[in-house]
Order: sequence, then structure tokens, then C-alpha cells
Amino acid sequence: MLNKLAIGGIKHRLRDYSVLFSGLMIAASIFYMFLSLALNKAFLKSNSPAQATAFIFGFGIVLLAIITIVYINYANKFLLSMRQKEYGMFMMLGAKSSKISKMIFVETFAIGAIATAVGSLIGIGITGFVGDLLIKNMDMQVSHFNSFYLPALLWTFVFFIVIFIFSALRNSISLRFTKVMTLLNMDSQPTKLKRNNAWTIIQSILGVILLAIGYWCMVKMGKDATFIFLGVPVALFTIVAGTYFVINSLTTTIINLLKRNTSFSQKGLNNFTLSQLNFRIADYTKILSMVSIMFALALGAITVGLGFRQQIDTVANGQNYYDASIRNINNKEQNLVDKIDHKKLTVYEFKNTKKFTYYRNSDLESQGFTYNKFSKSMISKEVPTHKSNPSVAFQLQNTIPVDEAAPQAKFVSDAKFDSLSGKPETMTFVKTDSFKNNLSTFKKISEIQAARYPAYKQFGGDKYSVYKNINSFFSGLEFMGFFLGIAFLAMLASCLMFKILSGAAGDVKRYNMLYKIGTRQRSLRQTINKEIAVLFSVPAVLGIVHVLVGLQMFKPLLYKPYMHIEVPFLIFFVLYLGYYFITRYLYKKIVLK
Amino acid sequence: MTKIVEVKNIEKIYGKANEKQFKALSDVNFEVQPGEFVGIMGASGSGKTTLLNILSTLDTATSGEVKIAGEDITKLKNNEMADFRANKIGFIFQDFNLLENLTAYENIALPLALQNTSPKKIKPAVDSISAKLGLTEILNHYPTELSGGQKQRVAAARALVHNPSIIFGDEPTGALDSKSARALMDTMTKVNKEDNVSILLVTHDPFSASFCDRILFIKDGEIGQELKKEEHSRGEFYQEILDSLGTFAE
Ligand SMILES: Nc1ncnc2c1ncn2[C@@H]1O[C@H](COP(=O)(O)OP(=O)(O)OP(=O)(O)O)[C@@H](O)[C@H]1O
Ligand SMILES: [Mg+2]
Repeated sequence: MLNKLAIGGIKHRLRDYSVLFSGLMIAASIFYMFLSLALNKAFLKSNSPAQATAFIFGFGIVLLAIITIVYINYANKFLLSMRQKEYGMFMMLGAKSSKISKMIFVETFAIGAIATAVGSLIGIGITGFVGDLLIKNMDMQVSHFNSFYLPALLWTFVFFIVIFIFSALRNSISLRFTKVMTLLNMDSQPTKLKRNNAWTIIQSILGVILLAIGYWCMVKMGKDATFIFLGVPVALFTIVAGTYFVINSLTTTIINLLKRNTSFSQKGLNNFTLSQLNFRIADYTKILSMVSIMFALALGAITVGLGFRQQIDTVANGQNYYDASIRNINNKEQNLVDKIDHKKLTVYEFKNTKKFTYYRNSDLESQGFTYNKFSKSMISKEVPTHKSNPSVAFQLQNTIPVDEAAPQAKFVSDAKFDSLSGKPETMTFVKTDSFKNNLSTFKKISEIQAARYPAYKQFGGDKYSVYKNINSFFSGLEFMGFFLGIAFLAMLASCLMFKILSGAAGDVKRYNMLYKIGTRQRSLRQTINKEIAVLFSVPAVLGIVHVLVGLQMFKPLLYKPYMHIEVPFLIFFVLYLGYYFITRYLYKKIVLK
Repeated sequence: MTKIVEVKNIEKIYGKANEKQFKALSDVNFEVQPGEFVGIMGASGSGKTTLLNILSTLDTATSGEVKIAGEDITKLKNNEMADFRANKIGFIFQDFNLLENLTAYENIALPLALQNTSPKKIKPAVDSISAKLGLTEILNHYPTELSGGQKQRVAAARALVHNPSIIFGDEPTGALDSKSARALMDTMTKVNKEDNVSILLVTHDPFSASFCDRILFIKDGEIGQELKKEEHSRGEFYQEILDSLGTFAE
């Protein structure tokens, strides 16, 4: 009978339960997603040139575990708060507390187990989907990547089951030992706000100092790779703690200053919004700190991922000015070249002899020749050339495999060239407006050339081969960056959304009262928008600062970590904004009539 | 002088046309003069809250006419209703309805802030009403730090601070012990007499009702009887109410 009643209670709160359930599922699927990379040693080894990758992923697991535990703890509290009034009622009507505590145990554990099972399945699905999406669409070369990875699945199960056993125990114990009266009145006990000014000041100072230490570590790691083994744990700890203190102290200080400014706070609903935020942030500090860390990880991962991608382009473009060099172009190759839209062709005739590779002077004079040159600062510069530049001939000759080429190259007059005995050959150089956009064509050309001249397979001097090499070198890192970025983004969004939505039920009364005393619907909506906007932007601002400093760590791997940084930031901003709008919409649906 | 409340033939039917319908109010007529303190009494389920919700624009009547301070509120649009509540009406509910995240002061100041009163004028207004209701000492407390009686007086101060045309109360003493109830009713009487504020109070507690000038009895959605205090003392009026309740209930 009691069981029937309890299940009936679930039906009435289907919306709350679906919030809870989807939150837990996302946590499980993200955890699986991360483990599928982090535990896959073969994947890590074959896809990352950096020795420390496995080590860093180890810390990633710890961090994600902490985040997940906090998250599930929130979810569990939410579950308990939904149930305690009802169970308190049962107890008041005479149900035994041992029976009730058994029921909450079973309920908590069952919800957790189902969410974990479904979440892991979803995790496998997402892992496969995201993996495919990245590998196919971004031309990445990734090996040993498996969307279904048994150890990851097992560990996800173990981890979640253990957490849920603890949560279930906790719930049943807390129901057993709380007085019935307290259970019944649970709703009407809002968190108390006790502010100790001295402690607030200490916290803000401590927070800033901790962040400074963390930032210093990250900068140092960028300069000295051996520091990683000390730097990662120290930075992790100081930045997490620093973020927590800063959010806990600085934001409330700002809000209180705004409140004290009566010409602002006493206008319309401003004071209500500020107070609501003040209460919220005291309650939200943990989740906001977590979100800001995840924000930094997600944005950082995507930024670094894109950084590696650019690195591929920069290096490939920097080494070769021409997008393709085609020896003795044949019909098939000519057809491919013809299909390219914006292009400039340069054709050089040459004759290879024992001592020299000969080129026509007239070719150089009529067409010129450009090559790229790396300066000391690793920036490649285009050098347009004429005959007086001694390295032109050498650069030209570079397109012929080494063992085939003569020791030296030389420009000669047409008459001389014609009289030479060697076999006349041509080299066609193609320059387009974008190597990347015509990648598939150049790939075909490169393959045909390699088939026609097997020496080119070894030599790999054309731009496509260079690109291919670098791409395989950086793809793994790029892949990890994007993959983790997406995973952390999903996790952070669901955390924040979960927290905001799970608190919404308690806000209904407040907004209803404001409505009754004559607040326009529009003002209510505005105050909700503002409130949620602040909750979203506090972690975002800190997260962005973390990323900007954190990029220093990648200086050894990326020679310009800040180049085109606006692209990942913009992508991220749009996605984050999307989450903001969804949360806002769902929240208003719950809170306003 | 324009009447503060003028209700003509209102009817309220719950439920849509194709569903099971319930007539909560039928043909209700009455008026409230400026400065009057009127009570509405009736058994549970008789339609008191329904009536009050219609008067305060929180709900609409199925038919009939309601004028508050000369304005026909049945024709108002959504925003106009909100503004109307914000400017012309003060509320006191049974369950306090204070915002727990605002201090007593901030709760009281809220209606003024909603009207975009300048901050300079807010403080004196809040201070003066708080002094009148004896709340000066507790203005910086949060609602959880107040007793039930104090909370209800804060709610009363919030209802009064913007000088509304009328105060509506739905069982304001319902959750109070007799001592706090008496203190609140004394306060209400005081503002009614001294500041000439009109009050319309729903209650089924005869003691609270005995503070009113006039009492309307409502039964099954209809106003059945009216009782006036006139020259009686509060004690006599209380007895009279008890008597009528006895006969009215039969
Ligand atoms: N939203 C609604 N839908 C349908 N019927 C309703 C609705 N609200 C109230 N009623 C019905 O209308 C009648 C009058 O309700 P109302 O709340 O006005 O009573 P009341 O006099 O305030 O009672 P109480 O003293 O118990 O508060 C009741 O029979 C109630 O069941
Ligand atoms: Mg009622």
C-alpha cells in the first residue's frame, strides 16, 4: 500500500523527476565519454606526442570524479527534498521509520541504477557520434579510438553504483533520524544568510592569491615542461579553491555594494533581483565554481583543439608556397587542375643531368617564382624571386626527389637548354586561394604523382604530403581537444541547468506573490532573465580568464596559442548562449503561469 | 463621493462549458463606502476567496460589474490589472506572503519600488508606516527571524505603504494566536479610523469580525444577511455576530 502511494507521488512530480533523471543520465554519459579516452592507453599513446598526456588525463579523471560527486550530491538533495514532506506525512500517519528509510533507499538506488545504465548507453552513442563527426568532417587521423570501450563502461558502472549506494544510505539515514515535524516543515526553511565581513575579506584575498599561484604554475609549465608533474596538481588545486573563494566572496560583495546604492536598488524589482541573487549565490557557490572550472576546461579544450588545427595549416602553408607541384602533368591531373576555380599555374621546364638540373632563364623571367622562408621567429614569409637570388634554383630543384636530382641547379638560355642532351620534363606549380578548400583535389593529385613516381612516396615534399604528416601528428591532440570540449560543455550546461531548474519549484510562490501585488508579467520575465544571466555569466567570466592564462601552458606545443582565438570563443559563446536561453525558457515555464 | 467598491450582479462559474461546472458566486451585489471597514463571513467553501480574488483583479467574474474607486475593473487588460493592483490595492493574505529573501524593510518598500517612486521618498514612507505599526525595531530582520504576528504586521505595512484606495485581507488573522490577532486587528482599526483607509476583510473568526463596521454574510455563493455595528460596543457586536452565525448556519 505504502509503495503504491510512493509511486503515486512520483507520478505527480513527473516534471521534477524528469529533470532529476536527465541530469543523472547526462552525468553518467559524460563520465563514460571521458573514460573512453582517458582509460584507453593505446589511444593516448598513439595520438599524442606528449609524454605527459596519460598523466594529465589521470588528473582529469580525478577532477571529473569530484565534479560528478558534487553534481550527484545536488541531485540527491533534490530528490530528498521532493520526498521528505511526503514521507514525513506517511510517518505522521503511523508508517514505521524503518520501512520509510528502506523505501527511500530503494528509490534512490533504483533511480541511480537506471540512470547509470541508460546514461552509459547514451554515452556510447554520443561517443560514437561525436567521434565520427570529428574524424569525418575535420579530416582527422585518429587511431585506436573506440566508441564502445569495455573498461570505460565497467568503471562508469562501478563509480556510479558506489556513489548511489552512499547516496541511498545517506538518504535513508537522514530520513530515519530527522524529526517528523522537521520533515513536514522542510519547505518553509530557507537557507539563512549569515555574512561575516572579516571572513568575506579574507576569502577574497585568499581567492585572489590562490588564483595567482595557479596562474603562475600554468605560465611556468609553458616555459618548462618538466614542471608539469608538480604544476598540474598544484594548479588544479589552487585554481579550484581560488575560484570557489572568489565566487563566494567577490560576487556577494559586488551585489551588496549594488544593494547599498539605493538609487539603483530601490528601482522596480532591482532589489528583489539582487536579493534573489544574493541568496542564490550563497547556495550556488559550489556549483558555480564547478561550472566555471568546466567552462574553462571546455573552452580551453576547444581553443587548443582549434589551435592544433590551425597549426596544421600554418605549418603546411608555411613550408610550401605552392599548393601542388606536378611533374610532367598528364591528362588526368590536368583535368583535376582544370576543375579548381581560383588558381595560378606556373610551369617550368627542366632537364636533369648528372651534374646539373637545368632550367630555362626565360621561364623565370616571364613567370617568376615564389617560395616561403621561415624566419627566426618561426613566421613564414613569401619571397618573390628573380634570377639574382641564388637560392631560387635550389628552391625549384627541391621539388625533385633528392636521390634523383643533380647536385646543383642552373638557369640557362633557351638556346643552351635546347641543345642539352637530357630528357625534357616539366614541373607544374599550382597556387590557389585556399589549399584547405581544395584539399580533396590535391590529395588525388598527390596520390597520382606518387603512383607515377614512386620516389615521391618517400620524398613527400609536396604540400599535401607535408599536410598529411603534420595532420597525423596533431590530429590526436585536436581530436582530444574537441571531444573533451564537447563533453565538458554538455556536463557544465546540465549541471547549471539542473541546479537552476531544481530550485525553480521553490520560487513559484515568490513570483506568484510579486504577481499578486501588481508586478507586470514583463517585469517578472525581465527579473528572471537578469537573474539567470548573472548566474550564467559569473562562471563564464572566471572561466574565460582561466583559459586566457591557461593557454600559456601550450606554448611549447602551439607556437601561437592566441592566434584566431576569437573563433573558438565565438563558437563557445553561441553554444553557451543557447543553453542560457533553454534554461531561461524552462525556468519561466515552471515559475510563471 | 464615489464608492470604493461597487459590485453589481456578479456571478462566477468554475469549469469550462463542456466540463463539470460549479457556480461559486451567484448574483452578488454590495457596496463599500470610503473609509468603511467591512467584513465578509461565511462557511468554508461559501465563496469568500472567490469573491475577493475577483475584487482584486486576480480572477475575473463570469458576468457582472465590479467598480473599484470608480474604475470598472472587468474591462482591464493584463498590464492594466497589474498596475491597478500595484497602485490602488493593498493585500494581506493568510499565509503572510512575505519574500524570505528580503528584509522586513525591503518587503515593505517593494510596492513603492514597483511604482518607481524615487528612492528619496521611499525611506520616509516606509519609516512612517513602520512606526505606526510598531515595526521600527525589526526592519532589518528577515522574515524567518520574525514571529507570525510580526510577519503579519509587516504584511500589513506593505499593504498600506503606497496609500492604496482599499485594503483586501483574506483571513489575515487565520494563522495567528489570539493575542497577535488582536494586535493586528487593533492596528487595522487604527489605520481605518485615523487615516480613513477602506478595508475589506474575509474571515470566519467572529472575534476578528467584531472589529468591522459592517458584516456581510455569504452562503453558497450568495449574500444572505448584513449586520451593522452602529452604536454597539465591540463586545456587543461580537455577541451579535455569534448569534447571527448560529441562525445563519441553519
Ligand atoms: N479554481 C477552482 N475551480 C473549481 N472550483 C473552485 C475553484 N476555486 C474554488 N472552487 C470552489 O468554489 C467554492 C468556493 O471556494 P472559495 O475558495 O471561494 O471558498 P471560501 O469561502 O474561501 O472557503 P474557505 O473559508 O475554506 O477559504 C468551493 O466550493 C470551491 O470548491
Ligand atoms: Mg478562502
